[in-house]
Amino acid sequence: MELRPILSTLLRHKTAAALIVLEIALSCAIICNALFLIGNRVERLNLVSGVAEKEVVRVQLTGIGEDDNADALTSSDLALLRGLPGVKAATVTNQVPFVNSSWNTGVTMVKDQKQPTLSATIYMGDEQFLAALGPKVVAGRNFASDEFIEWSALDAPGSKISVPAVIITQSLADKLFPGQSAIGKSFYSWGENAIRVVGVVDHLVRPSEQGGAVAHEYSMIFPIHVPFSLGGNYLLRTDPARRDEVLKAAVAVLEKNSPNRIILEKNTKSMEDLRAQYYRQDRAMVWMLVAVILALLVVTALGIVGLASFWVQQRTKQIGVRRALGATRGQILRYFQTENFLLATIGIVLGMLFAYAINQLLMGKYELPRLPLFYLPAGAALLWLLGQVAVYGPARKAASVPPAVATRSA
Amino acid sequence: MLDMRQVTKVYRTAMVETHALRALDLHVKEGEFVAVTGPSGSGKTTFLNIAGLLEDFTGGEFTLDGENVKGLSDDARSRLRNQKIGFIFQGFNLIPDLNLFDNVDVPLRYRGMSAKDRKLRIEDSLGLVGLGSRMKHFPAELSGGQQQRVAIARALAGSPRLLLADEPTGNLDSQMARGVLELLEDINAQGTTIIMVTHDPELAARAQRNVHIVDGMATDLSVEPALIRVAQASGASAGTSA
Amino acid sequence: MLGNSMFAYYFNLALRSFRRNKVLTALMVLAIALGIGASMTTLTVFYVLSGDPVPTRSDQLYYVQMAPESMNGFTPGEEPAEQVTRFDAEKLLREKRGDRQAYMTGGGAAVTPDKQGLMPFQVDARYATADIFPMFDMPFLFGAGWSATEDERRGRVAVIAKALNDKLFGGANSVGKTVRMDKVDFTIVGVLDEWRPTPRFYDMNSDRFGELEQVFLPFSTSRDLKMGRNGSMDCWDDSNDSSDPEGSTGVNAPCVWIQYWVQLDSAAKAAAYKQYLTNYSDQQRSAGRFERPTNIRLRNVMDWLDYNKVVPGDVRLQVWLAFGFLLVCLLNTVGLLLAKFLRRSSEVGVRRALGASRRQIFTQCLVEAGTIGLAGGAVGLVLAWLGLWAVRQQPASYAELAHLDPLMLFTTVALALAASLVAGLIPAWQAMQVTPAMQLKSQ
Repeated sequence: MELRPILSTLLRHKTAAALIVLEIALSCAIICNALFLIGNRVERLNLVSGVAEKEVVRVQLTGIGEDDNADALTSSDLALLRGLPGVKAATVTNQVPFVNSSWNTGVTMVKDQKQPTLSATIYMGDEQFLAALGPKVVAGRNFASDEFIEWSALDAPGSKISVPAVIITQSLADKLFPGQSAIGKSFYSWGENAIRVVGVVDHLVRPSEQGGAVAHEYSMIFPIHVPFSLGGNYLLRTDPARRDEVLKAAVAVLEKNSPNRIILEKNTKSMEDLRAQYYRQDRAMVWMLVAVILALLVVTALGIVGLASFWVQQRTKQIGVRRALGATRGQILRYFQTENFLLATIGIVLGMLFAYAINQLLMGKYELPRLPLFYLPAGAALLWLLGQVAVYGPARKAASVPPAVATRSA
Repeated sequence: MLDMRQVTKVYRTAMVETHALRALDLHVKEGEFVAVTGPSGSGKTTFLNIAGLLEDFTGGEFTLDGENVKGLSDDARSRLRNQKIGFIFQGFNLIPDLNLFDNVDVPLRYRGMSAKDRKLRIEDSLGLVGLGSRMKHFPAELSGGQQQRVAIARALAGSPRLLLADEPTGNLDSQMARGVLELLEDINAQGTTIIMVTHDPELAARAQRNVHIVDGMATDLSVEPALIRVAQASGASAGTSA
Repeated sequence: MLGNSMFAYYFNLALRSFRRNKVLTALMVLAIALGIGASMTTLTVFYVLSGDPVPTRSDQLYYVQMAPESMNGFTPGEEPAEQVTRFDAEKLLREKRGDRQAYMTGGGAAVTPDKQGLMPFQVDARYATADIFPMFDMPFLFGAGWSATEDERRGRVAVIAKALNDKLFGGANSVGKTVRMDKVDFTIVGVLDEWRPTPRFYDMNSDRFGELEQVFLPFSTSRDLKMGRNGSMDCWDDSNDSSDPEGSTGVNAPCVWIQYWVQLDSAAKAAAYKQYLTNYSDQQRSAGRFERPTNIRLRNVMDWLDYNKVVPGDVRLQVWLAFGFLLVCLLNTVGLLLAKFLRRSSEVGVRRALGASRRQIFTQCLVEAGTIGLAGGAVGLVLAWLGLWAVRQQPASYAELAHLDPLMLFTTVALALAASLVAGLIPAWQAMQVTPAMQLKSQ
């Protein structure tokens, strides 16, 4: 198939050709970036949290007014909860993943360091914290029973108590002590004294994914017994099939244990639901992006069909002449298909450049990484295919122009 | 009515210069019926384009109904064309979407007439060509001869000073052709100047005057009837003076 | 050039042409409608989120920022802390250098209703000082805010929102009645009318587009009763050295957790106040309380919202995406219009021969393009309405605010018309170049 005559014909219909090229270029650019954004979101949606989401439920409650007996009440709560049928472990903690509030603090390697090395989140947990939430210990050990301190003692004015031990995530360990075992090492965070690392867990994500892609797993666990009034989170571990049952039973037991509290029903649900709710916005965005990609493809296809049909109609006489001179139907068909392929190629090349330009813009304003190269052939293939599908109808119509048209002048 | 002196028309492209008209002289008086003949490529279509203000010309003088039309803007030419000239094409060129009433209406719209005036004129025009009862019909429903008559009605509706006809019977069979020609003669009898381009010698004979255009120049054949037959027979470049 | 009757004529011709080419016309209208629908949906959401929450006061209300922290973690050139300490808030209020001033923070309270059959429930609360009500121009249904005396006395008074009033008292005038919160009886002094500042500009640390707090009570009272707080607290240096029973919420605690707003009626006063803050900051440094160099910000409402990038990144992204889509739809329309007009070149040639000037042909084409635009705009409006309905179903807190107001409605139609006219320019230009010639052959 000779490209030169096709090119010269196109050059004589510059406006229409330019329109098709531009439309394909712009569609390509937007689609590449949209696919990339979808990839990003899906990555976020598939984030490993370290939590056994299908097995954990969370109850959130708050006290009515101040409770001087919060510690004792918390203990009795936990005893009752741990006694419920189906409950494998229960814990009380200050914060949970997949919510918008978190406790964060600076971490320094040296005492009185002026700039913190980094900021990490603090989970305060008791003996059953790891068992209830799910992260696996991959180095060192869980806390020993003599390492736990009371929050009320720690928080009391003038208190000299310091945190004796800490469990950190692998991610934090790799950052603070690269290439070495973190066990036995220490750093400064709360209090005057260094805190020793006794264990490392594989994953534990920060609440609200703070810290972005790099720091979203900078988490520490302190061995602190907290009263329910600090955050109001009870976490229970059970079988996936028994979650509803356990949740209902837990709520009933807690209400009975003290009339002075309110269960926050909106926030009392399984960890799986909590995660789904947290990511609802991202899921909606993914759907929106998919809708835009589909709509773009449809609109571009319609545009190609429209212009191609018009061209065929304009060149009916020319086609008739070619047929009279011996061209077969197949050759006419292939002519138009090649013409479309050529235009699509130019459009896609331009589109790639646009795609990178758009990506630059987005990178600056929305903290996105650079568009990886493999999205480009994906977008290209999509648009080549689209072009060929769209042009098929008009090309077939062109191929069916009878040679007699050549002599029918007027 | 139409006064052309030494009119030239040159088409220039990057590589070629074509002299379509060279020193064309033509004078048509008001009320005349002139037939313009000539072989293909002689420039008679170009002449018609220029006479109809459809194109501008390169050199010479052209006065239409007393107005010098040299160097007029596109807007001015359009206005003049709209008011003074009526066109009849070989291919009728009626607008297929519009019914007969609306087709005759088109030039009147560009005149800015009131709806009442337009309606009167259209009814009169269509009546004149014998199609007054079919105003709401569409061109596709009419025969070739009838379509051409509508085209004539359209050309007349604006009371033009000059009718320009390009092979008006070219697409018609002999019976329809006769009908159209008779119509043209009637119109001319009522005082409208007509310039008609034609191949048909019989048609040309019906006109008062014959002008032969060859190689971009005009020869008036009305004075030398013998030359008519010579010119038509050879189709080659005939002699000269008039 | 375009008299009334010519416009009607062109419009008529356009309609005829549409009727003859129903499919092509429908496609063009649909393409524009999709583009307009998407753009207006996202634009409306953006418009709702980036609006002025207190248009009557936004240029007079200023947010105070200073840098009270220790040198730990100091980076030169950074922005000062986003909230103030309790010490600074109370001192600035005492010195009263603005036309009005108030400090506040978020909290929560457990309400134990009197009504039979209603279980205790949790509400969001705001702990503030008396001036907050006149400063923010808050509308009252019954009663009014409390006075500065109540602030000093730690009075057990509260202002409740309409929704809470409806729930507890059936919407009746409850001024003077009591509401039991956190086991303490509060006297209601005022009931607020419907108010939903969008966004909740006064506190950027909680749900920015969420609903109003249901309860307002004096800050001092909240400290007296040790009520729970909501929001963000940033502490430097461990506060364990102090023997303050209030811990990090104490007056001298090295923590920022309070929002300070001041009303200044003119630009001159704002400049003067900024100077006052600078002096204050210097004084605190010489007194040894502040360690960092003086770093003052005094932003008015819109600047403060800008600084906080209050419109979520996703919303902005969606606007860009939608307008990119609109651009593609427009290119589509240009192509289809080009095809449409050039298909009719023989008709154009005839019209030109019959006396139409180039400009008249151009105008005729533009009228056709504009008509398609208007039709596309009408359908696009329906699509935008549907789109906004879909947005309202979303889980975001701003979702329920997504509505088409008259300005957006007008913008939809105007945008559709403008877009279609621009799209029609090149095709109309090409159409008007068709030469009027004798050798037109009809097909």
